[in-house]
Amino acid sequence: MLRELYPFVEDSFSRFPSQSNIYGLCQAGQQELLAATLKGKVVCFRYQELQQKIRPVAKEIQFTYIPVDAEIVSIDAFNKSSPNRGLVVGITFIKDSGDKATPFLNIYCDYEPGSEFNLESIAQSCLNLELQFTPFQLYHTEVQCDDGGSETVFLLSGHDQRIHLYKENASLHQFEEQPVERLFPELQQLPSNVLWLDMLTVAGGRRISAFGCQSGCVGLALVNQTGPEVLQSWRVQFDSPISTVLLFPLSCQTEPNQSSRETGTEMKSYNLLVTSTIEMAVVYRDVQESGLSRSVCLSESDQWDAVLCALVIDLDFDGQKEVLLGTYGQELLCYKFHPAGGGQFQLQWRRSFKSPLLSVIYLDLTGDGLKELAVLTLKGLHILQHSLTSTADLVLERLAQRVSALTAGSELESAKAPDAEGKDAPAKKEERAAHTTSH
Amino acid sequence: MRSLNYAQRVSLDFTGTLFPHAICLGDADNDSLNELVVGDTSGKLLVYKNDDCKPWITRTCVGMLTCVAIGDVCNKGKNLVVAVGAEGWFHLFDLTAATANKADSSSQHEFLSSDDQKPFFTQHIPANTKVILISDIGKCLALWSRMCILCIVLWSLTAVCVCVCVCVAAEPAGRCELVVGYTDRVVRAFRWEEPSDGSDLGSAQLVLLKKWLLEGQVDSLSVNPGPEGLPELMVSQPGCGYAILLCSWTQQDSSGSGEDAPATPGSEGPSRDVVLHLTTGRIHNKNVSTHLIGSISKGSKEESSKCGLFALCTLDGTLKLMDSSEQLLWSVQVDHQLFALQKLDVTGDGREEVVACAWDGQTYIIDHNRTVVRFQFDENVNAFCAGQYTCKEGKNTPCLVYVSFNNKIHIYWKVQLERMESTNMLRVLEEKPEFKNHLKALGVDAEDTAAVRALVANILYKDSQT
Repeated sequence: MLRELYPFVEDSFSRFPSQSNIYGLCQAGQQELLAATLKGKVVCFRYQELQQKIRPVAKEIQFTYIPVDAEIVSIDAFNKSSPNRGLVVGITFIKDSGDKATPFLNIYCDYEPGSEFNLESIAQSCLNLELQFTPFQLYHTEVQCDDGGSETVFLLSGHDQRIHLYKENASLHQFEEQPVERLFPELQQLPSNVLWLDMLTVAGGRRISAFGCQSGCVGLALVNQTGPEVLQSWRVQFDSPISTVLLFPLSCQTEPNQSSRETGTEMKSYNLLVTSTIEMAVVYRDVQESGLSRSVCLSESDQWDAVLCALVIDLDFDGQKEVLLGTYGQELLCYKFHPAGGGQFQLQWRRSFKSPLLSVIYLDLTGDGLKELAVLTLKGLHILQHSLTSTADLVLERLAQRVSALTAGSELESAKAPDAEGKDAPAKKEERAAHTTSH
Repeated sequence: MRSLNYAQRVSLDFTGTLFPHAICLGDADNDSLNELVVGDTSGKLLVYKNDDCKPWITRTCVGMLTCVAIGDVCNKGKNLVVAVGAEGWFHLFDLTAATANKADSSSQHEFLSSDDQKPFFTQHIPANTKVILISDIGKCLALWSRMCILCIVLWSLTAVCVCVCVCVAAEPAGRCELVVGYTDRVVRAFRWEEPSDGSDLGSAQLVLLKKWLLEGQVDSLSVNPGPEGLPELMVSQPGCGYAILLCSWTQQDSSGSGEDAPATPGSEGPSRDVVLHLTTGRIHNKNVSTHLIGSISKGSKEESSKCGLFALCTLDGTLKLMDSSEQLLWSVQVDHQLFALQKLDVTGDGREEVVACAWDGQTYIIDHNRTVVRFQFDENVNAFCAGQYTCKEGKNTPCLVYVSFNNKIHIYWKVQLERMESTNMLRVLEEKPEFKNHLKALGVDAEDTAAVRALVANILYKDSQT
């Protein structure tokens, strides 16, 4: 029964020459993925349109200044915050030439107009930084600058119990390490090595940041971005290393019988998912209000070895997000949120893979508005596509609803023109706005 | 090239070794659900059912089993399991009921009721069997035999040992013929003959109808509709060739031609009845082992052409799809040693795809338009077959079956695909006329991909209220 609910069909599998790790997959641009493998190879995966056909292409990108004996640890990429434009790729690796292993961070970014998003040319312009610590996760987040604009920066955790900040120096056109305390006061004096970091910007110019440590410590902080100043912080101790922490919003209707059109009844809360290597995964509900006090366990999530990756997405298009967990025990688990009884997560389906799952990303690779699930396993990259036949039916059904709502609205409009106009026009405008923003 | 990684599999226990044709899928117990039948080199016949890793039924046969098949061999409207040993012992099993017919293996043509485990019919036919095929085209049974000792040594090394049997329904009465290929390049056709009064079952036996002598080793036997739509008996020939064997026994008196020894050579000029075809192309080695499969279903809409489709594959990696008017539909060159060729409807559209497997586990699934899907099985393959099997969920599903060298048979039971090619949502939607109407009603330009894409994304992900 569990399998019937599984909504995906595998569209492609790309085998990698060597294994990857939990920091080895990132989204680069709109429709591309970058996957790093241990032996210094970076593979770019995308769908190519050729002769009216779409085909998956996994191509190796030759990033410059990665020596042959390098072992890649982590990879990350982001688009610069506007008004700047361009793709930035960061790769950390350890060069082991025999006597002494030296870690590096390479930041790739092209300033030439016209080629800021061209991966081939970006891969050729490199900033090479030697590190004094063994790197772990490479993360990026947007920060508010003093001049009111925003900028995206790299955060790199290391085995020196610190998190390092790399920020672009606009005048020099290059990235440099800056003290992390100035922009991220919550990330100083860490209890242990941070294995995973996540941040989320929330309303009111605030940010929630969470980190999980090797010692099992999880830190959570609510920060006012202007200042910046730590408003509140929490810590909790687990018994095993933390594999991921993930902040996500969850909308929860407090009064389900009321009209759903009134947005006032819908309560949006921020939640924190924590997965550890031997314990059950835990979701802390409504962290902005209650901190780490309201925990919900994801039962059975410890049954398939360590949980290595997690994702919270709306898989069944019902507007309610599901929690996906990928385990070393080669299982992908999907938990559905049931608001009844204070909120519970129940295992909805699970699916076996042929090797341990390392990382998952949900993005639109095929350029059709429908997102695909990219699953990085020890052996390669799986692209799982929603079953197109059933999803197409759903789209048609909802389109028909929308059309009938529109025609009903216009009939109403013609009947009592002055009243209905105000109601119908904003809905249309909203729809248009949605088109332009997501493009 | 699109490549996939099937994960849902069951692993069955299987100790011992087997010949590559001693495995087949079919409805052995007539419950309309398919079972897996495997014969090993020690003479054990194993029948697996569902996802149970232990055999459902085990039977013991005489000698090394070289080929097994399931089909209505005796034209009784009921499937029987056929197992043929290298020494020429032909066994029939009725698995419909556990207390079915029994036979004493010591007496060749008699039905004795003594032991459940015994086949209900055995007969000695010329030795060195390798493959049997029960054709669904004409209720035919094909038996493929080969020189046993030589083959054991050589089959995995050079794959030269080829004997083929095909049964052709040459007569509309539905009596089946059994065609057997031998490693001495001979193919023989047999027919199941029963006495006309039907009372004395003991006198029923396989009777030799015809013998052909070929120039090269025969790796596969198949039946394929010819240009006129009549079934033709085809055998593969080395170097990506094939031969059509003319079945002329309907004109001659076949009664009493049963033989225990090979027919006297030259008695009926066998080569006259063999029409050899060589296919063109880059064949580097004209002796390379070649496999063939015929009667590949074209689906309902293309019934206009009577020509049957057949596929050829060689050990040096050539794959071809042709029709019986000798027209080449496509040719694919791969750098894997293809040793098994099967047909399987993977997409469920009625058209059968060609499935070829290499020794190293690389598997190619290719449709009629030359769209390729690859799957890498992670071990070396001892034997391979593809077909419908009831593994889970209580119904037949397309399956890929790999026999490994590690005492396991792996069945991939969820290999069905929605489509062979990668595609996206917009292309699927564009085929639906109502989609364009909806777009028009909503004022979205159907040509503006970005706008349509944004609309789809909005419908799926932002439209949280249903």
